[in-house]
Amino acid sequence: MAALPRRIIKETQRLMQEPVPGISAVPDDSNARYFHVIVTGPEDSPFEGGLFKLELFLPEDYPMSAPKVRFITKIYHPNIDRLGRICLDILKDKWSPALQIRTVLLSIQALLSAPNPDDPLANDVAELWKVNESEAIRNAKEWTRKYAMDN
Amino acid sequence: MEQFEQLLTCAICLDRYRNPKLLPCQHSFCMEPCLEGLVDYVRRQVKCPECRAEHRIPYQGVQGFPTNVTLQRFLELHIEITGELPDPTSGQVMERCNVCSEKAYCSFCYHCDKKICDECKGAHMEILRREISRINNQIRRGIHRLQDSLNLVEKNVQNVQTNCLSVGEEVEEIYRRLNKALKDRTDYLRNEIDRYLGTEMRTLTGLKENLEQEISNILSNCDLADKHMNENVDIWDDCELMDAKEIFLKTIEFIRNFEYENTDYTRKIRLILAHDPNQLVLHVAGFGDLNMANSSSPFSQGTSTALLQPPNPGLMRSKSDHRLAFRNQDQSYGERGYGDQDQDNVLSGRKFGERSQKPQTDRYGSSYGRTGGEYGDDYDHDRSARSKYSSRFRRRNNMADDDSDTESRGVRFHDQQQPHKTERERPLDTEDVTRGPLSGITRLADSPRVMKKLQENPTGKKKEKETPQPPAPKQPQVVPKRPPPPATRQVSEDDEIARIKKQNKGATTSTETATETRPAERTATTEERHPPQRKTPAPEAPSSTEESEGTVAALHQRKPAPPATRRPSSDAGHKKSTRSASSDSSSSAESTSSGAVRTTGAPFTTEEVKQKYLSRSEAPTETRGRTASTGAKDQQPKSTFQSRFLSKAAPQPPAKEGNEDDDDESETSTEEETESEEESDEPTSKRTDEKMAKSDIGPLLARSANAREPGSSRKEESPLNRLKYTAPDDSANRYGGRRRTTATDDEPPRYGYTSRFLNKSKSSAAIAQDEDDYSPRLSATSTLNDDDSKYPSNRSRYMALKERRQRLARSRSSQQFGDEDDGDDGGVTTPISPTTSNPTAYLASRGYGTSASAHDLARSRSSHALKSRDNSPERPAASGEKDGAALSSWARYLKNKYGNRSGAKDKESGSGAGGTSSSSSATRRLSLGLPLRSSTDLASSDDDQKNMQGSPTTPIAATVAAGIAAAAAGSRGSEAGCFTWPRGVAVGPDNSIVVADSSNHRVQVFDSRGRFLKEFGQYGSGEGEFDCLAGVAVNRIGQYIIADRYNHRIQVFDPSGRFLRSFGSQGTVDGRFNYPWGIATDALGFIYVCDKENHRIQQKIAFSKLCKIARNQRVLNLTKNGNISMRSLLHPANSNII
Repeated sequence: MAALPRRIIKETQRLMQEPVPGISAVPDDSNARYFHVIVTGPEDSPFEGGLFKLELFLPEDYPMSAPKVRFITKIYHPNIDRLGRICLDILKDKWSPALQIRTVLLSIQALLSAPNPDDPLANDVAELWKVNESEAIRNAKEWTRKYAMDN
Repeated sequence: MEQFEQLLTCAICLDRYRNPKLLPCQHSFCMEPCLEGLVDYVRRQVKCPECRAEHRIPYQGVQGFPTNVTLQRFLELHIEITGELPDPTSGQVMERCNVCSEKAYCSFCYHCDKKICDECKGAHMEILRREISRINNQIRRGIHRLQDSLNLVEKNVQNVQTNCLSVGEEVEEIYRRLNKALKDRTDYLRNEIDRYLGTEMRTLTGLKENLEQEISNILSNCDLADKHMNENVDIWDDCELMDAKEIFLKTIEFIRNFEYENTDYTRKIRLILAHDPNQLVLHVAGFGDLNMANSSSPFSQGTSTALLQPPNPGLMRSKSDHRLAFRNQDQSYGERGYGDQDQDNVLSGRKFGERSQKPQTDRYGSSYGRTGGEYGDDYDHDRSARSKYSSRFRRRNNMADDDSDTESRGVRFHDQQQPHKTERERPLDTEDVTRGPLSGITRLADSPRVMKKLQENPTGKKKEKETPQPPAPKQPQVVPKRPPPPATRQVSEDDEIARIKKQNKGATTSTETATETRPAERTATTEERHPPQRKTPAPEAPSSTEESEGTVAALHQRKPAPPATRRPSSDAGHKKSTRSASSDSSSSAESTSSGAVRTTGAPFTTEEVKQKYLSRSEAPTETRGRTASTGAKDQQPKSTFQSRFLSKAAPQPPAKEGNEDDDDESETSTEEETESEEESDEPTSKRTDEKMAKSDIGPLLARSANAREPGSSRKEESPLNRLKYTAPDDSANRYGGRRRTTATDDEPPRYGYTSRFLNKSKSSAAIAQDEDDYSPRLSATSTLNDDDSKYPSNRSRYMALKERRQRLARSRSSQQFGDEDDGDDGGVTTPISPTTSNPTAYLASRGYGTSASAHDLARSRSSHALKSRDNSPERPAASGEKDGAALSSWARYLKNKYGNRSGAKDKESGSGAGGTSSSSSATRRLSLGLPLRSSTDLASSDDDQKNMQGSPTTPIAATVAAGIAAAAAGSRGSEAGCFTWPRGVAVGPDNSIVVADSSNHRVQVFDSRGRFLKEFGQYGSGEGEFDCLAGVAVNRIGQYIIADRYNHRIQVFDPSGRFLRSFGSQGTVDGRFNYPWGIATDALGFIYVCDKENHRIQQKIAFSKLCKIARNQRVLNLTKNGNISMRSLLHPANSNII
């Protein structure tokens, strides 16, 4: 495999040196393109207090293509399915090379605080979110407590 | 400031903008790879990563976007403010890396000859470093060989001196004796003459007086009678008259009877010479001759030379090593070689670390402050130089294998490590570095570039070590950039570089002073050395002491070599001389002239240099201990000395070799050359290779050495050598000496092939693993000598040799072969061959082959023998009567062997008795007229057949194996029925004999009686054409399967000789070949190919598509297994059986 592009190196360095509050991204020991990410649940959201683990992988043509991000911690969120896949435009068609790992993670954090049930990935969750938001939020809090706060 | 930086950072690459392009949305990005990567080629638009605005791409591509000049200004400003170095990649164009395919700023990688990106390049450099260190380790492990050879050479120097002194004394003695004898005889003769004269004079005077008396008496009587007797006066009485008459009668009687003996008048003395004076003069004039080249003189003079042989001649190398080394060499070329201007140097004309001038490297050139013009040697030059070097090397190797003359070369080569320590300075070279005179390997530490590097990066390890030097210590001083040109070196103590060099040297194994003084020592001690060394018989000498004249010659050559190599300073001429010393005689003139130049030029150069150095502000310190180089004065003597040395040293070897080769071996040279070419694939030319090979081959060497152990059962090579030697001797003797005029073409095939075989086997001895294809022969020969039961298979082929051997053994036990031969053949001495080859033969027979050196010697000697043998007219018809006797025994032997097979007795089966016993028994049988063919022989014929395929067998062997009584078929030549280097033979289902006539590039088919049937194939690489085909096999249905060696493929022909198909090409992967040689087929149609240079056996399926898949699978497995198992077989070329 080719050596790590300078950009990834720079991003990694910067992530280490100036970590984003509430977000930690650590590259894997064996693969510098694979990051172990922990995102704290944003305040004033049902996910507050939770530590959500994600994995982030920078594909070969990064930054020309978006990183692959997935929740590892179970989360009750209309835009995140059971497998942890995230429905986020900047991870798909709205990806721009000007975005970085930190911005992506910030976006994900923002997504937690602003679920968008109109563009759902987990349909049942989205449905509940639309029909009975309070219950959905309660569920989300429950899940957060259950899955994201144990450790 | 940080924000300022941020503004100058491309959002995509997060790096400083490089060639920022302004999009219509006013966002800027680097042109490449950032903007390039954004391009949507389908829609021909680019989406701004910042604002997602989509912009149509201009016609010229992203280049068409305007450059953000403002941003560029800011960039420049930023650089000015921060003082950052400009981006080294600015102004460059990105290309695809040829290794990782990433787009990046590529630069030329010398490792892979591609333009690659920095990352890949770094990896390659790492690889290079690792390889260098690995090689270095090997070098370290192997360097002791050079040390050994140095010791041996030094011993040999003593020996040569001793030898020369003794010979000189002998000559003196003979002179005295002759002189005395001549003088004594002359005095005696003179005395005799005087005495004779005296007596004769006495008698003659007496006679004269008597005669005068008589005459006067008679005259007076006559007068008296006239006067008185006729008178009538009767004064006389009768009595008186009677008396008078009586007196007169007596007088008349006396006068009548007096007959002076004739002898009294003609007495004279004559010098009777026992010999014709002319002849005598001739005899005396030529009472002795010194034969340095062939070292026959010691024998003729009755002196023995105790010479030591270096452990092994050209360091042997294995193919694989080669590859590695070669590759490495290439890498080192590329990476940053350590070259200098000499063409035969490893770096071939480049300075160390100099990049060959390629357009891509301009950047580096400029960054290193070099101009391209300065180093005009471009890559092509490199190429040629390299090849030149390699060819020379190859030649050397081959020669070392084939030719004892080259032994000296080998030795010289051996010696080359010490030269490392010497400092050679070439005024004409821009880069003056110490260079091994033999190998042309430069001393890295002397390379200004290396010095500079080391200084710049004191802690950094010296990564580009090629030579076995420990990493140089860090250099506190600052090296004044480029070292002074040529001559400066000579005076260079003052120079910082010199100092550094010194330190480096000190760090290395040899101290500077040692190296520096060595030449001086040498010069001083060369004369002195003689006495002390004369006395000291080399400890290891016993093994090789008696050997020889060949070695004497070698020594002669060798002795000069070290001095030459030692020269502390070097100029172009010197370089040339040392180089050419090994190859051509022209060097002598050159070297001398260069020496002269040197002497005259020395003062000037020193002066110059001094100035230079003074200007450099380094006070010239003469206390450095450099003997030669401080002042002009010093310089002068040294240079003179050197020149003297050079003229003395260099001329010798080349002249000798050249003469020998040219004169004596002219015809055979072609043959040998072809042979050597074949083998030269492996002897690649780099010294590093050699070293590596050397180190790797250690075990092998040891093995071979063991094999030569006298007592051991594995006497494979020593017997071989012996055989080799004896055989040539015999033939030569038999035919009354070598006839140079005999064209090799005229040689009866039998001999031609035998000689070829010898040739090969010899080389196989030398490079056993490379020449495994010949190993059967080897063993066969050994069988003949010692271990008949061990290698019974090939025996029949070499019966002839054996017979000779027997004859030899019969005639004498421990005497020298030469003497023996002489006695045996009625004193017919061949001028060269016996003498040259005998020592080794003798050695071998005496079991002196224990040491590697002996082996070495044997080998080199063997080449001599071979040559002589080749040249010797091996034509029974031409042989004299003595030869006739030998021939008759030969014929008898043949007859016994081939005619009386049925009556064979297995007398030799229990050959544990060893060579002597078996040979003696054979001799007995021979003398008894019993059939020599033993049952082992019979049994072995099967093996013969097996081995015959793909192995260059002699026609005899072929026919014999086919069960034909005919003694031989074919001869050398290109007509039908003649062969040139047949390399393979096979027997078809119809008992036809198929011969791969290698150098005629054709296949010949004979019927079972040896009659020519057909031939097919010609030179070329097309279908049905061959390039030195080697192995041949015939499958069940009569198809011919040919290993087309130099085309790296296998060809298949139908039974009528029409081309059917071919497969394979050069390569190392499965299904590809590297000089396929042996080939065999089995009953299932599988084809087994000896993939010689890949050291493996490959199995190919028959061409039935039905079972293709299944068999392919099998092939793969088998190849894999084969690879594993065959690795142990170093060169499986002749073993057709998996």
